[in-house]
Amino acid sequence: MGDFDAVVIGAGNGGLTAAATLAKSGVKTLLLEQHNVPGGCATSFVRGRFEFEVALHQLSGVGCEDKPGPMRGLFEKLGVLDKLEFVEEHDIYRTWVPGQLDVTLPADRNGAIEALVTRFPSEEEGIKQLFGLIYQFAQDMFKGVVGRDPDFNAAKYPALCNYALRDSESVMSEFITDPLLKLTIASYWAYIGQPPKTMSFLDLALLLFVYIEFKPYHLKGGSQALSQALLESFLDAGGTARFSCGAEKIVVEKGSVQAVITDQGDEIKTAYVVSNASLVTTYMDMIGSDSLPEKVLSALRPRTIGPSAITTYCGLDCDPADIGIQVSSTFASTTGNVETMIGWQHSFDKPEGLELTCYDLADPEFSPPGTCQVSLINISYADHWLKLPPESYHETKYEYASHMLDIADSMHPGFRNALEEVEVSTPLTHMNYLRTPGGAIYGFDQFAKDNNMFSSHRSPLEGLYHAGVWTGTGGFQPSLESGVQAAKAVIRSIQ
Amino acid sequence: MKNPFEQVKGYSEIREDIAALTRYGEDFRDTRGVVNASVDLYHPKKLNLTVSEIIGETPRTKTLRLISDTGYLPPFQAGQYVNLFVETKGIRSSRPYSIASPPNQRAYYDLTIKAVPDGFVSDFLLEDIMIGDQLESTGPMGGFFHNPLVHSDDVVYVAGGSGITPMMSMIREATDRGLDRNIHLLYGSRNTGDIIYKEELERLMATHENLTVDFVISEPDDGYQGLTGFIDGQLLKERVGDLSKKTFFLCGPEAMYKFCQRELQNLRLRCKQIRVEIFGPPGNVTEEPGWPEGLNSEVTFKVKVSNGRTLEVTAGEPLMCGLERQQLELPAACRSGECSYCRVKLVSGKIFHAAGTKLRKSDLQFNYIHPCMAYPLEDLEILL
Repeated sequence: MGDFDAVVIGAGNGGLTAAATLAKSGVKTLLLEQHNVPGGCATSFVRGRFEFEVALHQLSGVGCEDKPGPMRGLFEKLGVLDKLEFVEEHDIYRTWVPGQLDVTLPADRNGAIEALVTRFPSEEEGIKQLFGLIYQFAQDMFKGVVGRDPDFNAAKYPALCNYALRDSESVMSEFITDPLLKLTIASYWAYIGQPPKTMSFLDLALLLFVYIEFKPYHLKGGSQALSQALLESFLDAGGTARFSCGAEKIVVEKGSVQAVITDQGDEIKTAYVVSNASLVTTYMDMIGSDSLPEKVLSALRPRTIGPSAITTYCGLDCDPADIGIQVSSTFASTTGNVETMIGWQHSFDKPEGLELTCYDLADPEFSPPGTCQVSLINISYADHWLKLPPESYHETKYEYASHMLDIADSMHPGFRNALEEVEVSTPLTHMNYLRTPGGAIYGFDQFAKDNNMFSSHRSPLEGLYHAGVWTGTGGFQPSLESGVQAAKAVIRSIQ
Repeated sequence: MKNPFEQVKGYSEIREDIAALTRYGEDFRDTRGVVNASVDLYHPKKLNLTVSEIIGETPRTKTLRLISDTGYLPPFQAGQYVNLFVETKGIRSSRPYSIASPPNQRAYYDLTIKAVPDGFVSDFLLEDIMIGDQLESTGPMGGFFHNPLVHSDDVVYVAGGSGITPMMSMIREATDRGLDRNIHLLYGSRNTGDIIYKEELERLMATHENLTVDFVISEPDDGYQGLTGFIDGQLLKERVGDLSKKTFFLCGPEAMYKFCQRELQNLRLRCKQIRVEIFGPPGNVTEEPGWPEGLNSEVTFKVKVSNGRTLEVTAGEPLMCGLERQQLELPAACRSGECSYCRVKLVSGKIFHAAGTKLRKSDLQFNYIHPCMAYPLEDLEILL
């Protein structure tokens, strides 16, 4: 296979943007991927007449042409903007608690406030103040941190400095009281798996801000189209890619990267590795703990493996309107109580909520005519799945998914009857395709301490760089951006 | 520049927490190898199998009973298959076979092999394989199984020839475990001597009220008393009655399943009620709708492969088979266009995909093909 300037391990979001950035800068790059399709989470699979989107629910940071978000620039630089077709969604989400709550927030600051005030009129003042804080916070972040203000201080950026590391629950309580209102505003907790009590306000504020200001987007052809476009860009720039070919070992000598050995036994000499594999896999399995400086082990010790997910992918033989689906993303809670909702992240207990995404509202061509596609998702850890006797796996998975379908059916009567294809993915499924510990989809747990401001992206090993969610936060935008950052660091080092 | 975050309230407290955890937190050295070991319980990259028994079923059919060299076989859903790799006459190839034994016992997998005309792999398995021989396969896979979230417990299995094998796993599971399922099997064979598992099916029907078995013979001997002809819509309506609540599972040779699929579609059932097992590339691709008029199946084309080799392939044969003949092995599992293991990028040239190839939308946009169901129509260049 010859030698390469750089080897990128893993063709997930971060690996693909890293590889494309490197190749476009003239770095002779090899991309290795153990699976046969690029994308990692950003992929799709076909069942019957449906092509199921695996992971993309709402792409953040895109923005429209006259008000572009950071992702538009990234896609343009990587040469994929004109290969992709974006579909804008007009609502950020609907929050639903049967008999108690049904609010849809448009992707528009005033519209969202109005929707909340209509449902919670006595809290008008608090709602407006909280949104004011969220916007002030985002502004502080962009001006002070992203803009690297040399005169950064607490008096100049009060929203950021006072609120960033506080938990979302206590910040919300400063302004609003109704638990259902808090549940609505903090709905995105269910995406990342941290309940408002442990989700930093930084995460909540930025999530709401980016989705409202830059709008949620979907892609024609799904996230697989994005992965494929990034791969094309890499190949067009002269990159070499190997699929169904994983990295077995990273050879490190005297603290610096020497080579990568593939699972087919080829040794590829290289001075630079960008690993899109998990930090744990990269260090413990590919490098091996014997070659690790204490610095690596101590940096890992405070971290805990983050959650995976259970997704029930549904192909339905009806239009969304036939069963009353009018919003792309819905957060459902059967009790309205977040406290009890956290328990089922660690057990097979009947879930008390889920997130429902219907892909055909924004893009009616997403599924064949007269059908639509819905995914039901719950964040879940892998521990209890790993303890399951293998012979109980299928039954357990179907039983859990059946509870999810019951929730969907109570929200949209007729849902179950319209099911034509159903596939269920569990933490073990994600472990198989992603090869991450615990099948983690967002990297490490994201407590306030796991925020970017406390972790360094640099490996103490010379020539080793990381791309993906394991050095930052989870999700499409952060992982796509991380690959570009890692590649830029490699390029700087080469120069 | 100074770290601006030091001015964020709570920053130094969290730094202290992190410092404590740096001493007392997780030791990830213990996790080495855990991911692969956990995944291997379900989806091993390959299975090393030994033939422990060979059971004669019919004059043209044998069952290979396979045990695992490690003593462990992964769980599967009745109806799924493994892709069996063989090396014969200097060529390494593979074929998918449904597991006929039920998933409630995993001491062995039974694969029932029927002789097919010019069966490159089946001839080898039936004639050359002996007890004690070793074989390699993929783990169990495939989408042909009873999904309790979608499918009715009132099921009709329509099988032809060796298409009975996935149904046999389902029937054995249902009867062994006493599943609450009503099963009506309509099983088409050429003559009574060709019926695989005949005695077992008769015995199971006699002891299980919820199992009905109809053998349907297309070329009966004189005086045959049972059902004859092909399994068509009329016969299904007569034998099954009300079809509206049933889920149909269909598996059989190409001509049979294509015929039955049309018959089922004419019964105006919902798509969800009809499950059809994939069945490999068509016998004669030039008869497929969409095949370019006048293109002879014997025509040869050149395939340039990204590693520099140029190989010769024929129009009438799936690209994967042509490449295998010349010792170029692609990753393979379903060999029916579904699993996408063999997916490669077509850099230039035109191919014909046989019906049933399950491509992604972005495959069309970026020109990816499934060589197991792709036939060359021109000289090609592919990226491996």
